[in-house]
Amino acid sequence: MQSVGPLAVDGGLVLAMPARLQTGLSSGIGAGVTRGRRFAWGVRGSWSSATESSLVWTVSHDDFRLRGVAALQQPAGRGVFALRLGLGPTFVYEHRTRAQGARAGLTGSDLESSALAVFPAVDLEGVVTLHVLGRWSLMISGGPTAMIADGALRGGWTAQLGVGWQP
Amino acid sequence: MRRGGILCLAPLLLAACGRLQGFGGEAPPLVSFEVVFQGDLAPLRPAGVTDEHALRVALVWGAQWLTEPFCVLPAESPEAAAAIDAGCRDPFGFVPAIVSVSVPIAIDVPATLTLSQLPAPDLMVGDVTARVAYASLVVFDDRDDSGTLELSRPRRPPFTFEDERGFQPGRPDSLDVIYGASFVTMTAPDQRVAYREGAFDARSAFYPRAGCDPPLPAFSVLAAGGFSAEAALAALLSGGLPPEDPSTCAVSAPAETTIVIAARAPADVQEVGCDERTDDSSIRYRQPVMSLSDLASRTVACAQLPTFETGGGGPASELIQLVVSGRPTDQCMGLTHYTLRGCFEDVNCAMPEWDYTANPPAWWPCGP
Repeated sequence: MQSVGPLAVDGGLVLAMPARLQTGLSSGIGAGVTRGRRFAWGVRGSWSSATESSLVWTVSHDDFRLRGVAALQQPAGRGVFALRLGLGPTFVYEHRTRAQGARAGLTGSDLESSALAVFPAVDLEGVVTLHVLGRWSLMISGGPTAMIADGALRGGWTAQLGVGWQP
Repeated sequence: MRRGGILCLAPLLLAACGRLQGFGGEAPPLVSFEVVFQGDLAPLRPAGVTDEHALRVALVWGAQWLTEPFCVLPAESPEAAAAIDAGCRDPFGFVPAIVSVSVPIAIDVPATLTLSQLPAPDLMVGDVTARVAYASLVVFDDRDDSGTLELSRPRRPPFTFEDERGFQPGRPDSLDVIYGASFVTMTAPDQRVAYREGAFDARSAFYPRAGCDPPLPAFSVLAAGGFSAEAALAALLSGGLPPEDPSTCAVSAPAETTIVIAARAPADVQEVGCDERTDDSSIRYRQPVMSLSDLASRTVACAQLPTFETGGGGPASELIQLVVSGRPTDQCMGLTHYTLRGCFEDVNCAMPEWDYTANPPAWWPCGP
């Protein structure tokens, strides 16, 4: 049985360029739901985290991406190709720890600090869905992202590998 | 900050609610010390020095060091005693390992010295569950404008092989002039910086302060009144540590105390700027040179090898060593040992790398 219903739910592992960290690879999980056939719309969310260190700081960034999405889909055999545009905020929660600070007896804000910031962002992803078993499918997606931060447009990328389910 | 973040989430604002800094921004110092330098330098200046070029205070981490046996065993002759006086540093003195940060300082004006790095593990004595490092704050005139204190090292007389290959007897003496230090020797009152990780082993003989409270975890400033050399030797012979007078001990957090350094004559404190080639009391005996042109400017003595240098518990070596001190003008005291027979790594080796016992150099002043 292969479902052809208009509702689709998916979730999986996310890899992305950290939204505001200058280096590293952000990894986490993401999920989304869309409704529609040739043209679909829906919402998506993901969380991914990256932790990197310098001589002075250990910095951890948690990126929370919330997107309203619209997609153009083209069935092909057991699969579906889609081009998905997402628009929404990216929340970045930063936690910094002073390197060697705990060993030196630092406490409070001298030892660690945190901050939260939110930025408008847009994603453009290519999506490939392959129905493998009944209502279940494998999904892979990825593409460039753009975000406005500090008055400038900053680029990046995101990718997801997961499973989909259509009731 | 977390509550503020939740408030930030609610309206899905498009503007930043907090300031992300990433790896940027100013890093808080790991610790700060307040230092005051007191005294009049004019009467203390060495010959040829008319003013202070750039007075600075440096934090110098201490090394674990053992003096060589020749310097602590009873002198076997007046010549040996003279060589000990001329070539052995204070066995209870502070020996530097590495110079950390330094900042400018002026007389009677408090200066703040901040650290942004912890001492490296090789500066700490103990295992990972209980280790400690000590430092002395050293006031110096940075006459070479390097911004830091350059350490000096005892200089050797030239000797055959290395000299022929173009090696120098040692790096040149530092141009910096030391005018004071918070920790010069264990036989005098001191104030020292301590960095402790884990527990503290009160039996540790690393710059011991027996009878005083242990250093605080992480950084602290310690004070002790010092002990006499006689008391130290007596305690060591009985297997203990020389006790401090508890009334002279102090332990405080860095923010709660000011480290006061008194100006002293450079000749009295310059040893805190002298590091050592070896720190385990081992001696490397040298092949005698064919001509020792500057022997006249040094104190020399012929002496038997220390009995525990013969190794293996066997009979004492019959070798006579020539002990040569540095020159009086050298900043750092040191001894160089020559034997007519031996190896670079073991003076009593079975297959000597050199053997002049049958044909000693003409200048050799000792017996075979």
